[in-house]
Amino acid sequence: MTNTEKQRMMSGVDVGKKRKGLLITPELCIGCRACQTACKQWNRLPGDRTVNSGTYENPPRLTPHLFNKIHFIEKNSNVGVDWLFVRRSCMHCGQAGCMDICPAPGAIFRTKEGAVMYDKKKCIGCKLCVAACPFDVPRYDENDKISKCTLCSDRISNGLSTACAKACTTGAIKFSSRDGLIAGAKTAGYKVYGENDLKGLGVTFAIRESPEAYNLPDPTYNASIAFWDGFLRPFSVIGLGAAAAAALLHYITIGPKEVEPEDESGKGGE
Amino acid sequence: MTRMVQKTTSYERFVHWMMAISGITLLLTGFGFLYQNELGWINTVFGGQHVARLIHNWVGVVFTVSVILSMGVWLGEALSWSGEDSEWMGMLGGYLSKDLEPPPQGKLNAGQKLVVIVVVLCGLLIAASGFLMWLSPGSKNVMMWGHILHNLPFFVFAILIPIHIYLATAANPGTFRIMTKGWIPLYWAKKKHPKWVKEIGAD
Repeated sequence: MTNTEKQRMMSGVDVGKKRKGLLITPELCIGCRACQTACKQWNRLPGDRTVNSGTYENPPRLTPHLFNKIHFIEKNSNVGVDWLFVRRSCMHCGQAGCMDICPAPGAIFRTKEGAVMYDKKKCIGCKLCVAACPFDVPRYDENDKISKCTLCSDRISNGLSTACAKACTTGAIKFSSRDGLIAGAKTAGYKVYGENDLKGLGVTFAIRESPEAYNLPDPTYNASIAFWDGFLRPFSVIGLGAAAAAALLHYITIGPKEVEPEDESGKGGE
Repeated sequence: MTRMVQKTTSYERFVHWMMAISGITLLLTGFGFLYQNELGWINTVFGGQHVARLIHNWVGVVFTVSVILSMGVWLGEALSWSGEDSEWMGMLGGYLSKDLEPPPQGKLNAGQKLVVIVVVLCGLLIAASGFLMWLSPGSKNVMMWGHILHNLPFFVFAILIPIHIYLATAANPGTFRIMTKGWIPLYWAKKKHPKWVKEIGAD
């Protein structure tokens, strides 16, 4: 396998040139939330009872039935307030802590487009993915199963764009090949958030200011996951095998310590 | 007739079997969770991932009880560490050569004492972290610490238990009787646990 081929491999899936992604351009967003609605419609998600949190942001956070929401950042300015609209959803990380830590086979997996997808039937409800996510994304539904954005895997695997991108009237959410989106944003003079974080986020942001201004975190792959994945996990299996092999080797070379009954008739004690 | 002595009471054997069966069940299902793609088939044997998770959690309760009971049974003896125990440890029990003769041992030899101490420590840690993750999955810190503090003792068990089983069966023929009938020939006891034989006045 060549180096480029290795780089294209992600969680054992060759996403290569096929890796799809979203590019979010907050300055183009007008906060209409058509994306929230389109997402609910396509994914057949029921409405949530919500509360007035004192801003226009609604609902206040992601829920098991809300995969995608617009986060409203209000900043005081000379005249009234300035608004920044930033999309919140699963980032479809290249190095996805949720997928690595998940103990159930096939419950969280990578699609050939590079999306982090899940199978509710296989989810065992342990919630380790929630703890491992640097973006506070996975939610659990009323059946205690993982629930989050799928990057509309059912649509994009059939050549369609995601529901949110399709509904976006201003081009603030664009769906296409990830490489193309990033190149386009750079040509247009934007800074790109998420290009290299966690081996590249599937959802990147075209921004003008620092990520902090958009409440975008500096995502890290949890050190304890890395220690577990890189050391404890393999060495538990290798350790068990080594112990068994050492026992067998000991048995056939040095051999067992037999106690013969004759010992009794001898001195009998010490 | 060979003279026999009773090495274990039925209660001691019950506690050990309780720990052995629950522990091995947990170890197997644990491996199924650990390497989901390579070893996930283990949990197919236990009825699939969902059932395996239930089994893992509830058998964990049994294991926890067995750890607590085992503290009452063996911890006192295990903590009575003597110079001969250190000597035994220094020569790794004499297992690396046919000719090496370890110093006389009490009811538990130094290796068995070490197993008791490690199993109790790791057992309490793996039980506490397991219950934390099971019962309060809401907190990110609890889950991440619970996960790593569950996997560390798992790693220790994965290495310690096969060695313990080997030394108590194939490596020392006759030892396994202690876990089944509980009675062993006096000559065998004198050879393996001379200090204990003196203590109970069987010689």
